[in-house]
Amino acid sequence: MLGVQVDAAPVSFSKDLAPILLTKCQSCHGPKKAKGKYRVDTFARTISKGSGDHPGFTPGNLDESEVYYRLTTDDKDERMPSKGDPLSGEQIALFKRWIEEGSTFDGEPDASLASIIPPPVHPKSPVKYSSRISIQALAFSSDGGELFAGGYHEITVWNPEDGKLLRRIGNIGQRAYAIDLSPDGRLLAVACGAPGLYGEVRILDAATGALVDVLARTPDVALDARFAPDGLRLATASTDGRVRVFEKHNQEWEILKTFANHSDWVNAVAWSSDGKRLASGSRDKTAKVFDLESGKRIVTFSGHSGSVNGVAFHPDGNQVYSTSEDKLLALWKIEDGKKSRDIHRFGAGAHKIISQGESLFITSNDRIAYEYSLKDGSQKHQFTGHDDWILSIAFDSLKKLVASSSFNGRIHVWNQPDAKAIHSFVALPGYESEKPTEN
Amino acid sequence: MVGQIYMKIRCPVLSLVVFGHMICDGKSHVSFNHEVLPILSKQGCSQGSCHGSPHGKGHFRLSLRAFDPSLDSHTIFREELGRRINLIEPSKSLLLLKPTMAIAHEGGERLKPDGYAYNLIREWIREGCPTPVEDNQCVELEITPGESKLLKWPEFSLQLGARATFSDGSSRDVTRLAVFTTSDENIAVVDGSGKVTGNSRGQVAILVRYLEQVQSIRITFSRKPEGFTWKAPPAVNYIDDKVYAKLRLLHYPPSPLIADAAFLRRIHLDLTGLLPQAEVARTFLSDETPAKRSQLIESLLDSPDYAKYWARKWGDLLRLSRKQVGESAVYKFADWLERSISANQPYDDFARDLLTAKGSSLLNPEANFIRTTINAEDAMESTAQLFLGSRIQCAKCHNHPFERWTQDNYYGLTAFFARIKTKKLGNGGETFIWDAKKGEVRHPVAGRHVAPWVPDTGAFVLPPDKDRRQVFAEWLTKPSNPFFARVEVNRIWAALMGIGIVEPVDDFRDTNPPSNEPLLEELSRDFIRSGFDRRHLIRTIVSSNVYQTSGESNEFNRDDTRFFSFREPRRLEAEQLVDALGQVTGKPMNFYGVPVTVKAVHLPAPDLAQRNRSMIGDTEFLKVFGQPERQTVCSCERAGDAGLGQALQLFNGKLFHGMLTAGDSLFRKSLLAKKPLPEIVEHLHLSALSRFPNEKEKAIALAYLEKATDKGKALEDLCWAILNRNEFLFNH
Repeated sequence: MLGVQVDAAPVSFSKDLAPILLTKCQSCHGPKKAKGKYRVDTFARTISKGSGDHPGFTPGNLDESEVYYRLTTDDKDERMPSKGDPLSGEQIALFKRWIEEGSTFDGEPDASLASIIPPPVHPKSPVKYSSRISIQALAFSSDGGELFAGGYHEITVWNPEDGKLLRRIGNIGQRAYAIDLSPDGRLLAVACGAPGLYGEVRILDAATGALVDVLARTPDVALDARFAPDGLRLATASTDGRVRVFEKHNQEWEILKTFANHSDWVNAVAWSSDGKRLASGSRDKTAKVFDLESGKRIVTFSGHSGSVNGVAFHPDGNQVYSTSEDKLLALWKIEDGKKSRDIHRFGAGAHKIISQGESLFITSNDRIAYEYSLKDGSQKHQFTGHDDWILSIAFDSLKKLVASSSFNGRIHVWNQPDAKAIHSFVALPGYESEKPTEN
Repeated sequence: MVGQIYMKIRCPVLSLVVFGHMICDGKSHVSFNHEVLPILSKQGCSQGSCHGSPHGKGHFRLSLRAFDPSLDSHTIFREELGRRINLIEPSKSLLLLKPTMAIAHEGGERLKPDGYAYNLIREWIREGCPTPVEDNQCVELEITPGESKLLKWPEFSLQLGARATFSDGSSRDVTRLAVFTTSDENIAVVDGSGKVTGNSRGQVAILVRYLEQVQSIRITFSRKPEGFTWKAPPAVNYIDDKVYAKLRLLHYPPSPLIADAAFLRRIHLDLTGLLPQAEVARTFLSDETPAKRSQLIESLLDSPDYAKYWARKWGDLLRLSRKQVGESAVYKFADWLERSISANQPYDDFARDLLTAKGSSLLNPEANFIRTTINAEDAMESTAQLFLGSRIQCAKCHNHPFERWTQDNYYGLTAFFARIKTKKLGNGGETFIWDAKKGEVRHPVAGRHVAPWVPDTGAFVLPPDKDRRQVFAEWLTKPSNPFFARVEVNRIWAALMGIGIVEPVDDFRDTNPPSNEPLLEELSRDFIRSGFDRRHLIRTIVSSNVYQTSGESNEFNRDDTRFFSFREPRRLEAEQLVDALGQVTGKPMNFYGVPVTVKAVHLPAPDLAQRNRSMIGDTEFLKVFGQPERQTVCSCERAGDAGLGQALQLFNGKLFHGMLTAGDSLFRKSLLAKKPLPEIVEHLHLSALSRFPNEKEKAIALAYLEKATDKGKALEDLCWAILNRNEFLFNH
């Protein structure tokens, strides 16, 4: 490497600058807050003018680049970031060189910063887990032979029958919030991210773990991802308040539609059985239904008093189930957004709804997993045994197994027909209950 | 798959050094309750304007200054599916990334990576965020060096230390966990390590808080200015001794004593709210009796005007208004107050009457105090503000952030008022007040009943049928009560001196210490010894040199704002001003609902005149000059500030203009009676300024009047000029 000049490659806005703008600037100059009427959330906005006289960046002209002045001035009242240390010398040098090189950009000017930064290669996962971390995502393989579980920067794969670790799929965002299997069983969609840092949905080859695509990249975590019944579309739910729909074209997944109707995190999405509609639940305490054909929101349900964590369509297509922090499982009508009835009041907040076959599977912080009839809402089973919040659940219809995972990293497996516990295990590779006192 | 071990558990030798109390035994080391929460509080995370606000910030809410550990442990470790904590890589926890600004943080940088606070929190996360039930309570906080300290220039800095003792008998240094705050940043600042640095001479209290324990230390900074020499008249009584001792320490020489004219005006305004009449002034100024000042004090204290004026002061505090108690009770309650002051009812007796009153609000007018309170909490808050000098309201919802009152204390005090019942009788606004045999206060968080509780005694176990208000009143008025006498003594002092020894007068707390503790202590001792004799106290104060000191400052005491080296001049109160204008012009303002002879300072309530629309302009004058509506028990309701509205009123406001231009004004009548102009000019000065005009004033006035063709108009101008002088507008 000796003698090779760094400036051989020009500075890339998306690779080099966007990550800095995203982590250092966007919380005050973004869609939520636009101090000085200046925003950095897209390339187009970054180079534009705020309420001051100078544009953010002017190609080849440092003096006419407000951002460069703000990053380098000695005036404490003017220097940015205003609430932290100045950027490092190397970071500032990147901005300087980019301006001098003509402030070029080869992407889509109105795309969000998070989406133009090249997908990260994630750090390796720990060989041995030192702590009991929560498992928030769970899914069975289509043949029921494998149980996919969220890990730290990985998906761990277990034998559901004996709790043995089968394999580990790396290069995943720090925490996985949802795993969904495509109807043909070939693809995995993983909603993941690191709190406050990034979020994304990764499409993987279920058999090999190979990365297929990275979608829905946002500044904070992605919370849900669900394949449409035909497997050709994917809906995602993110902390930027958006529901996104992607469509498969050959091997590529392309954005089809974005619904920006929620005012807070979207926790969950669900497809109607005909694949024409989407339901979403949000921390803004509402659930909504969208029509894909018209691209319109059809209804908003405001009957919950807490964050809406789970949604599922009733088989009649006219009603939606939803679960919430407010402990309720409610059924309501799409026609008018009015509640049909409260199905159940849990002992604590409830999480995502997994709708499979003729059943709804729901977990709750009351440490019980529940199964309801999809058709009439009657309770079929309670699955007990966890000693902490249950965060996620999966059902294998072939072997009739129910698996669920908890806040303290344990997976329980039950025989579904009689709700009898089969076994449980801490699904964290290498975790030993007795912590070593020395290395 | 190739991986790496992220966390290696090391024998915490380093930790042993960092935290001082750890043992290398594999057990939990960092205490969530005793270390993590206090440090978050210290870094400002849980303060009211940040995550401690009722709705938190950015969806992250902590209890205000960590008063609810179990809620905070849930929020930090579990809420939002545990997103704030990263157990695998602790330094990547949102809880550390945000306050170090590794991720942009609206609240700015609150933690330095690898600083003491940061390491403490990271260590706690590394240990798995243990939040065991904590039985071990902090029972005592000890501050070094002791209670008070005098620092002399140039030694203006001091390192404080804090040590906590716990219920299990253990103790530890908590200097780096405790929160330090200063009562006055202009005098001294204190940093997070407990180091105090003085900025200028004066006195501050440094408050030290750790968990629920609060302590304070008073620090006096003394610096002798160049050319300073101490000079003061011989002391008249203990007040002079105490004030001069403090002034000498701080190098503030007192201003000179005032002449007779200034004394005459000051004592009249302070004791009766009224200016001396011109003839009274003339007589006093030419009187050569050596004891004439003390004779005047005695005669004023015995006058009906004194009783009326000081009853009005209590009317302000007791919400005595038509809106609060109704038309009939206004007159009866005002009359009751006046009789109490006139008979010099001992203050303890007075307070007991107000606090324990029962029955009809018309037959027993003193019951109107309880009547104006909405519920038990309000009755307690009002009582605390009036008689304990405490604004305890904050403690209703959380432990008081700036002092010792806890939420438990709040409800313990409220329990004394929990059984009050009121019923409106419907005739003439009469209300009936009595006490039920049952009734308890429920703690809003713990949900249990709270027993009656008072500060220095603790909880009471009372027989079920015991009258709780009676018990409280007895405790309150005991000579040994630590609050009762001090609060009233301070209130009277402030009424006479313009500023309290504790200021605001109803805000006694550790962070707001008295400017002169020995003075306050001696005054209250004297007050208690005298049998709570308010007239005795007033007499003692106004006889002192300190009271009779000039309102003008000098080069050495100019920046004294609270140690009484000179008497701070203050604008006449709204009612005083209206009466003074009426006296000088001979056209006193009339009020609806009372005889025309009733003066503004004697009005039973501020809202009597509102039914007569033609009077609106006139009552407006009183409002503009700060007459309170009497809707709270706060002495702050009477505004003493200045404003443009006031300037306009005095320029050509309707009321003032009417007085000046009236055909039957005093000076016009004198003119008609063919009084010589010099006599009229002299009279104007005596009446408005309580003194004779000097030669220059006389010459200017007479030259102007003699030149004028319309003498009446010219006198109007002269009068306008005199009444717009600060010498007239101020009590100085």
